[in-house]
Amino acid sequence: MTGETLQQQALQAELIQASAPNDDMLSRIGHVTRMLHDSLQGLGLDKILEQVAQDIPDARDRLAYVARMTEQAAERVLNATDAAIPLQDELASGATALQQRWKAVLAEPSLKSEYNLAADETLAFLAMTGKHTAETKALLMDIMMAQDFQDLTGQVIKKITGLAQDLEKQLVQVLVDFSPAKPKKDGEANKVESNDAALLMNGPQIDPTVADVVASQEQVDDLLDSLGF
Amino acid sequence: MANPNTKFLVVDDFSTMRRIVRNLLKELGYTNVDEAEDGVIALNKLKGGGFEFVVSDWNMPNMDGLTLLQNIRADAELAKIPVLMVTAEAKKENIIAAAQAGANGYVVKPFTAATLDEKLSKIFEKLEKAGA
Repeated sequence: MTGETLQQQALQAELIQASAPNDDMLSRIGHVTRMLHDSLQGLGLDKILEQVAQDIPDARDRLAYVARMTEQAAERVLNATDAAIPLQDELASGATALQQRWKAVLAEPSLKSEYNLAADETLAFLAMTGKHTAETKALLMDIMMAQDFQDLTGQVIKKITGLAQDLEKQLVQVLVDFSPAKPKKDGEANKVESNDAALLMNGPQIDPTVADVVASQEQVDDLLDSLGF
Repeated sequence: MANPNTKFLVVDDFSTMRRIVRNLLKELGYTNVDEAEDGVIALNKLKGGGFEFVVSDWNMPNMDGLTLLQNIRADAELAKIPVLMVTAEAKKENIIAAAQAGANGYVVKPFTAATLDEKLSKIFEKLEKAGA
């Protein structure tokens, strides 16, 4: 066990027992801080912290890039489905109209059998068109719904970007407070602001097994039912 | 289905989600849909009048969906407009807070077209019963 560790332990023990006036406590905390500062410098940790603080904006830029690219991709898909859905609708309604007309024509008794055969084939084709356009449209709606990932991943990325920003601010503050060039400032610590509203804005839950998180719409409905809604 | 001319306001800060909800509503037969990208813009549009249904996200800049809901319920002119929350917030306390603030329904993202349809029908059904 090193002398330093013993010294720290002694300090801790004293701090716990301390019923001393505030001034005494503050001076001791100052002492510990100075020691920590010296150790950090000795180990070159201030350089590492500086590096980390510099890397964070880079990580943030990369996340912003992911957010931008996924948004663009989602927009392109939505533009495509928006354009394709009316085309399918037009095909479907055209096929239905033709189907009706042919049925009306065939209701006339005086037509030749060959003509009937061709008409039957046309009818079969039109029926298929109707079926396929309906299926294609369902698939297009599916494709559209799949784009909801952009909202969800976007929220997660925003959240991480915010965390990175806070971390960066605090690291920079650590560097400012403990940089070798300047004397230590007895400043207020960077208070992390939090309020009730922020506590209710966590974004998408990545792990639905966490306590107090609903894992499905059914659980939402059950909870609302239990509340009388 | 309720009146197809029911005027909807879709509130979400992500344009992708606004488009998806708008398209789903259209598919369900509701074509009278306007959009707002946060609570402040939504509240202004609502105060302009004419809206009969609000579908709102929770986590948005400027004014979040819960605050929007509280503002709607506190405004005599708007208090009766049904509000369906469609949000990624999936903590029990969120659902309880929304219910207490007077939300008419709560849908967790990601959701399906069927879920949205079901919740809308349920809300309209309840409103009809209350009105009858």
